[in-house]
Order: sequence, then structure tokens, then C-alpha cells
Amino acid sequence: MMAKGQNMAQTGGPSKWSAFGSAFVANGFTMYPVLLLLVIVGAVVAPRFLSPTNLINILEQISVLGLTTIGLTFVVLIGRLDLSLEGIVGFAPMLAAVMLVPATSGGFGVELPSWMGLIVALGAAGLIGLFNGFMVVRVGLNPFISTLGLLVLLRGGVLIISNGRSIYSPGPALTWLGSEKVLGIPVAVLVFLFVALIVGLVFQYHRYGRALYAIGGNEEAARAAGINVDRVIWSAFFFAGLLAGLAGVLMTGRLDSAVTTQGEGIIFSAFAAAVIGGVSLGGGKGNIIGVISGVLLIGVINNLLTLAQVPSFYVQASTGAVIIVAAVLTTLASRRSSGMKTRT
Amino acid sequence: MKDVEPNPMDSSRPIVAMQGITKTFGSTRALRGVDFTVMPGEIHALLGRNGAGKSTLVSALSGFTPADGGTIRIARTEVVANGQSYAATIRDDIAHVQQTPRLFDQLTVAENLFIENPAVRTRWGGVSHARMIEKATALLAEWQIDIRPTALAGALDAGTRQLLEIIKALNRGVPVMILDEPTAALSNAEKRILFDHVRSLKARGVSFVYISHHLDEVFEVADTVTILRDGQIVTARAEVASLDVETIANLMMGKTTLRSVREDHTASDATPLLQAQDLRIRPDSAPINLTLRRGEIVALAGPVGSGKEDLAMILAGHRAPAAGSITSPTGILPQRGLVPTDRHASGYVGILGVRENVAIGGLDLLSNRLGFINRRKEAEHVGRLARQTNVIASSLEQPVGQLSGGNQQKVVFARSLCHSPEVIVALSPTRGVDVGAKEQLYALLRDLAGKGMGVVVVSDEEDEISQLANRVVIVFEQAVVDELVGDYSMKDLILRMEGVA
Repeated sequence: MMAKGQNMAQTGGPSKWSAFGSAFVANGFTMYPVLLLLVIVGAVVAPRFLSPTNLINILEQISVLGLTTIGLTFVVLIGRLDLSLEGIVGFAPMLAAVMLVPATSGGFGVELPSWMGLIVALGAAGLIGLFNGFMVVRVGLNPFISTLGLLVLLRGGVLIISNGRSIYSPGPALTWLGSEKVLGIPVAVLVFLFVALIVGLVFQYHRYGRALYAIGGNEEAARAAGINVDRVIWSAFFFAGLLAGLAGVLMTGRLDSAVTTQGEGIIFSAFAAAVIGGVSLGGGKGNIIGVISGVLLIGVINNLLTLAQVPSFYVQASTGAVIIVAAVLTTLASRRSSGMKTRT
Repeated sequence: MKDVEPNPMDSSRPIVAMQGITKTFGSTRALRGVDFTVMPGEIHALLGRNGAGKSTLVSALSGFTPADGGTIRIARTEVVANGQSYAATIRDDIAHVQQTPRLFDQLTVAENLFIENPAVRTRWGGVSHARMIEKATALLAEWQIDIRPTALAGALDAGTRQLLEIIKALNRGVPVMILDEPTAALSNAEKRILFDHVRSLKARGVSFVYISHHLDEVFEVADTVTILRDGQIVTARAEVASLDVETIANLMMGKTTLRSVREDHTASDATPLLQAQDLRIRPDSAPINLTLRRGEIVALAGPVGSGKEDLAMILAGHRAPAAGSITSPTGILPQRGLVPTDRHASGYVGILGVRENVAIGGLDLLSNRLGFINRRKEAEHVGRLARQTNVIASSLEQPVGQLSGGNQQKVVFARSLCHSPEVIVALSPTRGVDVGAKEQLYALLRDLAGKGMGVVVVSDEEDEISQLANRVVIVFEQAVVDELVGDYSMKDLILRMEGVA
């Protein structure tokens, strides 16, 4: 038997460089060199790209997608998914808006005090998240089908409660976060960065984060280790819904209105950003640093294509192509670095 | 000498002839050049302890797990084994009933019985439902099984499922049948029906290879006995009448090799850690009363499907009993750690590192009031557990999926100890683990018992049990039927585990 001190002896012999490479990929930095490259390319082809106004603009645009993607990451880390987040982005602020504005502006006529706006929006978002958790944990539905149904339901729900009309100026409590600036930086960006920081710390250093990774990696092992798996799954759906609600509030604030089509298509970008950022759709893999890189990449590409005056028809198609290329890169990098096949 | 093809049913020529069969799993040589023959119309019992190579040998015979080397002849079909699959070549000559039924739960009984069976095909290649039901009804009546042919297989009880599996195989009309532990899930009445059918098929010239852990069944039904030990034949083709239980046990056991021996840390006057009172695994099973004391290593042993694993999971608090309760004299149930039975399915998280895998066993101990992990405490605690369990990894961050089987299992042990438990329940603690790691895990368990923990081990291996357990609890049909305490001998243990009290 080995002496106790030698137990941790090197068994393989990975070089310093390959160890650095593995850590680089595992910590979510894979896409940052690509981002840097894009920024350099952007600076060359479109001089306006590097202007502070444009950079802040990019950040402001991605904060909605960023919050949605962080929410999505909660459920993807445990090997589930939540399509209804897109519905929440549209539904939660719309519900708050119709509760606030007078009937003449398209509201219910409840006319809640303005400060209630944020509470109603986030409360509704959280409740929808809890409902998703209930469907998955208690009823035992596959989250794909249960959240798909809810997505369609919420899309229709927005039209019902708003009577098919967008609601303008729903009040400061709902729009402040998405429209104000502090020291020239939009509050939306600060909210996104703050949430990213807190969630990043939770994923990395909190027992809740550890439980998420354990469940995503091997649910039965997590159960055998004494983790309350059902409660964690349930809460992951709750946090996902809550963050999607927050994203919706920011969006409403930026537009100063709750629009009926708000958030349409965002779930696809959120999945793309998560996968590009190294989050494995199989669960158990991914972190906030990577998620941010995925969100930034999509934001920068959209911005660059617009600045470069690429015809709008081509913007969407090129974004799709970039998503595929980036996902391939991430998958290859993570496979090479860990030596294990992962499903992205 | 006449140059005529010999008749395969010629009773003087073996129907099965295996020569020089070898099979290696990783570093384990499961079969080391085995010769095995079966005569037509013979019931040939294959005996040996767990891990002796019985199941591997019959799996090589049926092609379920192809042999690495040697030749196999069944009836007229001859195969030279080289590790490649040959199951399709011999499909029409042999049927293999495995320990656990492989039925399609979502199909009906009739569909299961006649799957891929030409007897129910129509002229156009379709399946005649009416003919299938008719034939299935006849078959079920012949076996005196009172179920509808349209019932779903998934809804049947274990015994009926086992019988269906056997019927399905017998129904194929092959000259050789392998029955691997066919009676494990059967009631006595079902056993009688099975034996009657086996005898009548034998009279028609069908040969059987019969594996059972119940020696009394072997004496009842078998003609010939071959005994395996450590992947080699120790007794070939002995007349069953020429043997007695004593001789068979000695042959199966062989000479004892020098291994680590059990230690007894049981404090008989110590207060019990856990007490199971009138515990029922199933609502209709017999009540179980069991006490676990400090310093004691208790082994739960019994055949497949006996409920020993269920009992262990109940003791570990990971499964609710059908009735009864588990209590502790102190009133507070002690902290319990679990080493689950299949480490790949429920033991470790392959993509996470050693540190994270161990830490999930005790996240609340390692985190502060807000739930954030104390990294320094975590590193210390996990490092100490990794040293205690002898985990060998390049670092504590290495993904557990990359470690060897033995080290993965040590990580699972470390995790189960993370919450500083007073009781540890380990199911098949050394399955698929090499000899070196095995001894280290044994030493660990003895050490834990020496420190006053209560240890419950579920094992199929007599060696393992005799090296570890101060008390052996024999579980059979969801109930405790026997107990060995203190200075029991290997022979006692083998005979009890073979069901000969």
C-alpha cells in the first residue's frame, strides 16, 4: 500500500499546456478568444463598432437575452429544459401592465398602485416557474412537452389579457429598470451583471449550485448522496421563471411599453447562447462565465452585421450559421479537453 | 470405417462440446481453458461459487457474451470463438434463459411468447393475431398458468414472468436449453410445474444446462454435475448419485488461499445503533426484526430477488418499508451513509471531480449559514476522506469518470463517509473492483467498524462475506430466514447460502 502522503501522486502525465487548456475550457473561457477576434474584425470593418455608445448599446441589448439565458441555465444544468421562458418574457410584464393602466388605455381597470408593477410581474413569473416544477416533479411530465404547451398557452394569454393591443407607458415601477441610466450605464446592464455575479457565485460556491451540477451529472447518485433532488428541480424551474420575468420587465422598460409580441424567438437565442457558452444540454456542465460569452457572441454578431449593413434578410441566416459553427467549436473543445463525450 | 455424417441425436455423441474456452474481462480471467460437454437428453448441472465462471460459461455457450478463444459445437453447428459475436449462427440450436427475465413489458403475454416466431406468420409475412392468441392460450393451459394471453407482461408478478421466459425458450424447439437460476423467483408450485416440463422434454431428447444455487434442486432434477472454480473445471461430468452435499461443498470451496481475515469489534453490551421492528419489505412478506450494534459488520446474503438489497436500502433510509419502522434507542436515528449497488448508475457523477463528488455527501456540513461552501473546510475534509479511502487520482479535481473502477468505488465510499455517519450501508461494495482495491476497501470497512461504526454489507460473494462479516443474515423471499454469528466456517456459509440448512 502507498504511503499516505503519496496518494495524490500524479497518475497520468498531462503537460502544463494541456492542463491549462483543460482548465481554460472547463472554466468557460473557450469562446473569449473568438469574441476578441470578432471585436478586432468589427473595429476594422466598422469604425463605429468600438465607440462607447455602441458598446453600451450592445450590453443593453444583450441584458434581456442574458437574463433569460441565465434562467435557462438553471434548468439545463439539471438536464431539463424550459421553453415557456419565452412566454414568460412576454406574459409577466403584460399582466402587470394591464393591472396598472386604466381601462381606457387597455387595462383591466384594476388600476393597482404603480409600485405594484414589478411585484406583479415577478410574482407571476415565479408562479409560472413553480407550476412548471410541479408538472415535472409531481405530475412527471417531460419538461419538453409541458413547457412547450405552456409557451403556446402564454402566447395566447398575452393576446387575451391585452385584447391584442400593446400597452404604452405602463408606469415607472415597471419601466424604471429597463430605461434609466446610472452614470451613463443603463440600469438594465447593471441588473444583468449583478444577477450574473450572484448566480455565478451560487453555481460555483453555494451548496445549491453543487446540487444542480450533481443532479445534472447523475441524478441517482445525487439522490444516493442525500440531496433532495425533487426540491432542487422544482426550485430550478422557479428561478428560471423569475429571471425570465425580470428579463421581460427590462424589455418593457426599454420599449416603454408591453408589446404583444414581446420576447418572440428569444428562447432559441437563449439555447444557442447557453450551448455556445459550453452549457451541456445533457446537464451537469456549464458556468456563468461561459454563458456570458455565449450571450456576448450573439449580441456582437447581431450588432456587427447591422453595422456592416448586411441586408436584414441575411442577418438572421448568418446568425444561425454562426450559432452552428460556435456550437461545433465548443463541443470539440470540451471533448478534447475532458476526453469525454458530452451531449451539447 | 464408413464415411457417414453422424446423427446429431446419436446418444453416444455429445450434443454440446466446448473445448479450451477462454474469456477475459479486463484483468479478470473469468474462464481459463474450460472443456465442457453435454450429452443428448441429459440434465447437466453446473455448480460453483459466485464468480467461479458459471454464468460466463453458459453465456459463452449461447453466444450472449462471446468467448475469446476455444471451439464450440452444438448439434451440427461448429464455432471457433475469437471474441466476435456468434450468437446468430447458433440461434436455432440453443436457448438461454437468463437470471432476470427479459420480457417486453409493453407487449402482451401472447406477443412476448411468439415474438419473432415463424409459427404465427401469415402467408404475406404479417402476424396472425388470432393464431397467436390461440397458441398462447393452449400453451398457458398446458403450463397451468392462469393469466389471459392479452395481459401486459409488465403487469405480471416475478414468478410468472420467469415462467414465461422459460416457456418462450422451451417453445422454440431447440435441442439444448440453458436455465440459469430458473427457480430464483418461483414459488414451490411453479417449481413443480417447471420440473415436470423439464423432465418431459428430457424424455424427448432435449438437453439442459442447469445452474442453481439450491443444491437440493440439483439432486432432484440433474443427472450429471460439473463443478467450476476460479474459471476452471474441478470436477467434470460426475454422476449426481455419486456425490453428496459435503463433497460438493468441498469441491466448490477448494483450498483456501491466504486472504485478510475478519476482525470482531462488536461490543455486545453496546446500545444498538439501529433497530428494525416488525419491518416488512412488501405488504405480504414476513416481518423482520434486526438490530445493528456499534463495531459490528453485518452481511445480508441471499439469492437474487430475495430482497436483501431492499432491506439494505430500508436500513439506509433510502426506501420506505411497507410496514414497521426503524428506530434507535437514543430516539434520534443516527446519520447513515450509503454505498449504492451500481456505482455507474447511482454511485458517482462522472463529469465532476473527486472533490465535488465527495462533497455532495455532506454539503450542509461544509457550508456556512447562507449555504456557501467553506472552500478551506471542504478541501481539508475531502482531502482527509480521500486519504482515508486511499483514492488515487492525479488531483482532487480529476473527473471521477476517468478513474479506475476501484478508485471510483473509493470515491463513492468517501462520499458516503462525508457526513460523518455512524452507520454505513454498502451494497456490493467491491463489484467490478480489482483484488488490490478490494483488500483496501475491506481494510477500510474493518477500520470503520473498529472506530465504533455499524456496518451493513450486501454481498453475493462468500469470500467477501467471510472476510468481513461478524454476523451473516440470510434473506430469502423478503424475510430473514437464518443467521450465522461469530466464528462460523466457510462451509457453514456456503451451505446456508446454497439453501441447505
